[in-house]
Formats: sequence, C-alpha cells, structure tokens
Amino acid sequence: MSDSPDLDRYPELADRWNRRNFIKSAVAGTALLGFGGALMRLAADDLTRAARAESRVDGRPRLPPGQRVLEFLRPMGGDEGDGKTETFRLKVHGACKKPFEVDYANLLKLPQVEKMADVHCVTGWSMIGGMWKGVQLKKLAELAEMTDEARFVILEAAHGFTANIPMKEAMADNALVTYRINGKPFSIDHGAPVRGLVPDLYFWKSSKWITGVKFVKNDAPGFWETRGYNNHADPWKEERYG
Amino acid sequence: MVDVKKRWRAWLRAIHRDFGYLAVGFTLIYAVSGIAQNHIEDWGDVSFKATERTLALPAIPDTTPEIVAVKSIADAVGMGAPTTHSRAGDEIRLEYANGSKATAIVGAKDTTVTVQARSRRAFIGLANWLHTARHKNAWKYIADSYAVLLLYLALSGIFMIKGKLGLKWRGTILISTGILVPVMYVGLAGGPNEQKDAIAGTEIGLKSVPVGLGPPRTAPTPQSPTPTPDPEVKGPGSAVLTPLPPDDDQ
Repeated sequence: MSDSPDLDRYPELADRWNRRNFIKSAVAGTALLGFGGALMRLAADDLTRAARAESRVDGRPRLPPGQRVLEFLRPMGGDEGDGKTETFRLKVHGACKKPFEVDYANLLKLPQVEKMADVHCVTGWSMIGGMWKGVQLKKLAELAEMTDEARFVILEAAHGFTANIPMKEAMADNALVTYRINGKPFSIDHGAPVRGLVPDLYFWKSSKWITGVKFVKNDAPGFWETRGYNNHADPWKEERYG
Repeated sequence: MVDVKKRWRAWLRAIHRDFGYLAVGFTLIYAVSGIAQNHIEDWGDVSFKATERTLALPAIPDTTPEIVAVKSIADAVGMGAPTTHSRAGDEIRLEYANGSKATAIVGAKDTTVTVQARSRRAFIGLANWLHTARHKNAWKYIADSYAVLLLYLALSGIFMIKGKLGLKWRGTILISTGILVPVMYVGLAGGPNEQKDAIAGTEIGLKSVPVGLGPPRTAPTPQSPTPTPDPEVKGPGSAVLTPLPPDDDQ
C-alpha cells in the first residue's frame, strides 16, 4: 500500500505533498553530491599528504597551510594578452638608470636560468616541483641599473593589470620572467608568451601576460591587492585577504 | 474610481511577474557562471576547452633555413600551413588561423613540438565573460539594471501575497531563514577577522607536522630559499635592449 495520501480524494493536499517530495529529493541529491565530492577529494589527496611531510631548507613546510597539491597548473581566468611572441615587449623601467625594452627573441638571448619552484594559488591549490625557465628579475634589475631607492617591483601585465612585489621576494633566485614550464611553452590561459614567477608569494603575484617590470620607491597595491586581497600574500602566513 | 488600496498589490504582482520574465535570461547567465566562479578552485576556469599534444621530431640543425624548419614542423603537426612563424632562441613557433600554436623546442638530439589549441565553451564561456563587467562599457549598466530588477523582485515578493502565505506566517519564516543563514554563517565562522586568527593558528599547527608521513614524491627536493649558484644558460649571442627614456614619475 502506498504511503502517499489519496490526492484525488483530498486535492487540497496536492501542493503540500508535491512540495514535500521536492524538498526531500533536493536534500537527498545535495547530500549525495556532497558525499561524492568529499570522497573524490580524499581519494586524490596522496600528493598533498606527501608534500605536507616535507620541509624546505628554511624549516617551513613545503606545502603552506590550507593548500592541496595538483599535478598541473589550473587555469584561473583573467584578462588575457594576445599571447603572441611577435608583439611581445617587456618594458623594464622605473627607479633605474638604464630603462629598456626587450622583445621576445632578445629576452631569450639574455642569461637564462631554469629553476624548480612550487607555486601556491590563493584559492587553495599548489603545484609543486615545476621546472621554470626564464630570466631572473634580479638580472633585469642589474641590466637596468636599478637604483638604491627602489623598494618594490611592480609586475605589469595586459589590460593594466599590476601586482606589487616587495624587493626581498622579487630579487630571490627563483623570481623570474618565465616563458616555459617543464620544457613546454605556456598556453594562453597560463600567461603566454611570458609571465612572471614569484613563487614565495601567492600565485596571483606572478602576473600572467606580463608587459613590464617597474622598480618603485613607494608601494603601489595592484589589481587584486586593491580588491580585498592581501598586500604581501605570504602563503605560509596564509595572507590571503587584506 | 479605482480603489488604489485594493489595487496596489495586484500591480505589484503584475510588475513582479513581468520583471520575473525579464530576469530569466540574466539569471541563467549569472547563476550558472556564479556556480562556476564559486568552484573555480575545484574546476578552474571552465570557459575554455584546452587541448595539448606533444610530438617528437629529429633535431633541427642551427644551419637549417627557418622556412625549411617551419615546413618540416608544419608537416609533422598536420594542421596545414601556419599563418605566421618566428624563431627565438631554441624555439620555433608556428601560429595558425584558428588560434592554435605549435612550439618546437630544438635540442641537440631531438626536437619537441607542443601543439596547443583551445576553444571557448558555448554557453558557460560567454556567461563567465559576461559575469564580470570589467572592461565592458554598456554591459556594466545593463548588469546594474539587472541588479535593480532583482532588488525589485526580492522586495516586491515580500508584499505580493497577504495572509498566512504572506508575511503573517510562511513569508516571515522564510524571509527570516534567508537572512539568518548568512548572519549565522558570519556568527559561527567569526567573520573575516576571526578567520585570519584561525589561519595564524593553523600555520603554527602545521609547522609541527612530523616529517616522514606518507610516501616521498618522485622529485622531493625542497626549493632552496638560500642563494645557490645559478645554472646560467647563455643565450646565443648578445641581446639587444632598446633604451627607454626615464619614466615621468622618476
């Protein structure tokens, strides 16, 4: 015998009964989705556990708190540049004696380095162990003869995007303008042809579709920093929001 | 003469109905792209479908004319003649009319060609693009109008029906629930400031994670925060840097 009321006999109950069934189905569906999602995430978490077990030589855990490891960079959107090497120009300017501009072919003629670096997105994913090839920001600073008054580096990108980097992180060995990861060029959604790389700060600081490197005396919060995100963005302090 | 007191609720409903019809298209755009944005950390940017394949070719000697090298790469890629090509450092890049790119990285022993293509997904790609009003002149004001429309729908909905199904019972309960959910979330989560404190605690906790849990990764070398000698790879020849005038603000 069905446990539903006789709706022919009591038509005034129809609305209420249908609503109840709908709510039951919605709750069951949501619970099922949530459970499935949780299972998937747990099953794919070996890389995260392994990374959490490791430490950097500076004593900090390899994986900053609140992060989980992905095997690939995840495209996160943004206002893209044209992605073409023919039109690429990098302007190195600001507080320096010899500002200059360099095209793609000549960028590749500058001293190149290939660095292993982990990157950490503010949304919670990290990609570890990538091999990034490019030119160090400190090499660009040297070529432009950056002056002592410079305290910050602004990475400029397509459509007026900027990200501000304190000098300490910008002049680190692994801070680059980079055009290749793991032996492959970047796709357009990852900043082709050239993007910034500042691995010790959240990844939004590593501007995609980079167009300029500017040395400045005074800090100038950039696109995300003026929209509620942290001005410094240290992943180990979880400096996500302002 | 029309009894305004009796008719205002009917007008409210009629306008609510028509605004509701107007809102359908916008709501689909904003709701679907909103879900995509909420889950960007899980799904990434779903606006595009990207594909990538890699081909291995024999080494291309430096002495090979660019046009010959480009032809051999294009033949291997099998997408016809590229619209443009360029050579820089150890790279030869081919670009195609459909936006696809083939980048050959020429090594001493072999050449690796990476072919990258992508296409915008029909609905979600456009919905995501429309979701942000940045750099869109007219759309910014259209989106504002939709927001005003939503405000009307929400506020007029409160007064559309009188009696038990209105504010006297069901309406009040559901409106309170809708307000309480975000308020309770802020209360329980503690808001942005509390979150920052909790995060600081997490950091201290994680520093004490014992080393040795779980299997080591295949490439576990931690990156060094201390300067190490750079494995510099000098480019072929010296780079040409175009001097710029000093910035106006310098």
